[in-house]
Amino acid sequence: MEFAEFAARVADVEAETADLETTSLVAALFRDAGADLPVVVRFVQGRVFPAWDSTKLDVGPNLCYTAIARAAGPNVDDDDVADRLADVGDIGDVAAGYDFGGQRGLSAFGSDGRDPLTVADVDATLRDLAAAEGSGSQDRKLDALFGLFNRTDPEEARYLARLVLSEMRIGVGAGTVRDAVAEAFDVPVEAVERALQVANDSGHVAELARDEGEAGLADVGLEIGRPVKAMLAQAGSVVDAIDSWDRAAVETKYDGARVQIHYDGESDPELYSRNVEDVTDALPEIAEFVADRVDVPVILDGEVVAVDDAGSPLPFQEVLRRFRRKHDVERMREEVTLELDAFDCLHADGDDLLDAPLLERHDRLSSVLDAGVSTLALTDDADEIADVEADALDAGHEGIMLKNPDSTYTPGDRGQNWLKRKPDVETLDLVVTGAEWGEGRRANHLGTFLLSARDGDDFATIGKVATGITDEKLAELTELLEPKIESQDGTAVSIRPEVVFEVGYEEIQRSPTYSSGYALRFPRFLAVREDKAPESADSLERVERLVGE
Amino acid sequence: MFKAIVSASTLRDALDAVSVLVDECKIRLNEDGLAIRAVDPANVGMVDLALDVAAFESYEADGGVIGVNLARLEDIAGMANSGDLVHLELDEETRKLHIRIDGLSYTLALIDPDSIRQEPDIPDLDLPAEIVVEGNQLDRGITAADMVSDHIRLRVDEASETFHIEAEGDTDDVDLEVGREDLIDLQAGPADSLFSLDYLKDMNKAIPGDAEVTVELGEEFPVKLHYEFAEGMGNVTFMLAPRIQSD
Repeated sequence: MEFAEFAARVADVEAETADLETTSLVAALFRDAGADLPVVVRFVQGRVFPAWDSTKLDVGPNLCYTAIARAAGPNVDDDDVADRLADVGDIGDVAAGYDFGGQRGLSAFGSDGRDPLTVADVDATLRDLAAAEGSGSQDRKLDALFGLFNRTDPEEARYLARLVLSEMRIGVGAGTVRDAVAEAFDVPVEAVERALQVANDSGHVAELARDEGEAGLADVGLEIGRPVKAMLAQAGSVVDAIDSWDRAAVETKYDGARVQIHYDGESDPELYSRNVEDVTDALPEIAEFVADRVDVPVILDGEVVAVDDAGSPLPFQEVLRRFRRKHDVERMREEVTLELDAFDCLHADGDDLLDAPLLERHDRLSSVLDAGVSTLALTDDADEIADVEADALDAGHEGIMLKNPDSTYTPGDRGQNWLKRKPDVETLDLVVTGAEWGEGRRANHLGTFLLSARDGDDFATIGKVATGITDEKLAELTELLEPKIESQDGTAVSIRPEVVFEVGYEEIQRSPTYSSGYALRFPRFLAVREDKAPESADSLERVERLVGE
Repeated sequence: MFKAIVSASTLRDALDAVSVLVDECKIRLNEDGLAIRAVDPANVGMVDLALDVAAFESYEADGGVIGVNLARLEDIAGMANSGDLVHLELDEETRKLHIRIDGLSYTLALIDPDSIRQEPDIPDLDLPAEIVVEGNQLDRGITAADMVSDHIRLRVDEASETFHIEAEGDTDDVDLEVGREDLIDLQAGPADSLFSLDYLKDMNKAIPGDAEVTVELGEEFPVKLHYEFAEGMGNVTFMLAPRIQSD
């Protein structure tokens, strides 16, 4: 396909405002792309390389301006281009405003004299340009870019400039491309979506859809060395998790950097960041760790965490000192110790596991890797979840993840199946008016605390808090509250309203169980408000206001 | 198989002619000598170089192709005094080029030839005018033009049988007129083309001052610059595409 035609078609797409029409225009473009289909599919998204490939053109705006200035001929320099850009705001419009082609190319004097720029020419030149490195590579990139601009008319120049700077701005996102591929080649959208997730290359997927149809798309498998997008989590609550899945798989949320590990079982493992950047060289010990312990081909998902000498996690900033580092890797390896916490397994020993349920994937993970694997707690009990969270926080981690135990791995999807437990939005300062003696190991401690909100001069109960408290803290609280016990009935005690707890919760519900008429869901102990007297604790009015919101 | 001994100055002259256009090139190790053909990334300037077996002290080759980083090779050649001999030997196994200069040995890693831009086809041009001029004259005109503009116009006045090197700046103009008596040869014809000085300056750098340069020129056509080096055993043809003349 000639680049002029691509530019004209893309201009139509940009001018179209209705989504369905846009999709149809893109689908028609894909149908007409012929052998250039993979390139055209990437180009409409402003990409030269597939999404799994982290190769970058590495062309800064200034280099692009210089190339445009040079192609624009005499009396135009980089500053003129930059000035126009400041006026116009879009590099495409700036490029389209010049009259290029003053310098002719040698091929125009070849056999037939016609030398149209093709989509394939642009692709080949940009790929060459990305490969240029070392001294003089900026000059070579400039020459190559100039050579391209020099062959464009204004409309072509507009989209070439945007492509070079990876900003097509024609209103075509991943969703449009998916729908357009489905429409163009008459395959189900879901089949395209799945193939896109697995192959992570829309150009390749489009070609498969065209040449092999739905069956071809279904055959797409993972490949070691071709990273997929990471599955993402959204914020959610324990209540959400238990309500929608009956039981939740709970694991520590690590404050680290996400890595996807590709290992063929023999050569050196490759590590990719969440943005599928190759970070192998920066993290040699993680690669060694995997190579030492795994003996089959795998694709693993996990988190790289910085730890101190005792193995406790250090803040995320410490990981950043190592991640993407190109120089002094060995020296920094001495300074910042990294550990792998693997939590998912996408492929093991020839089996793609994307469609397997989480629990099965985690079992496979544990079977291929004997250390550095996250612990998955399966439970339907909110209190147990709270205990896991308390332990995680206590150990210095960020919190917990809640995962649907039956869910598949959906690359790039921020779906409902992985939840980061939402931090408490509001906290309440509530008065302790009762407690229960614990059982077993905790028999000598007050365990469950009855909380009340201020109601005029009186106190109205609103919930019980038993979780979020370490054994050590429990001992302290017992010491604080035991002297204030007014009466005892079985293991339940009544306590003089003198101590104020700061309590977190997920939501407030109407409830007949407590005298306030409300109950806290998933309440957690946060701290003793030693600075607050019961008279200044939160009132029932405030609780009602919170519910009303 | 490739094994050769060549004078450092001959090697440098050859490398210079190519490195003004590209950073990497393929070298064809033919039985009758070396051949290099390359085009710059913008497809505007081309070089076609041949260095005959007679230019070498000794030469054995059987038609292979190697890819080299020119800057690297120029640096090594730069280590030699101009009278020194450079020994070159290709290790087929390791794909490395062993270079020896007066006790200094250097092993140069080669580049996969397939990763280098394809060698260009040379357009078959029949250009109406041919001017043979000394390298120094050409250099004078190019230097003067560079003072006022980034474009240079080469033309032949058929009536007065003169060759003109001209440049038009924003304010100042330059015109170097060379008459038949100052040219080595002139075959007059309709010839008038505009070129980018960026390219022509680079090509000019590689042309020895005392070389006889044959300039082939047409109207709005590429220019061909041909010269010999290594006492006639090496020859280079540069070809440069014109700019469109806007009036």
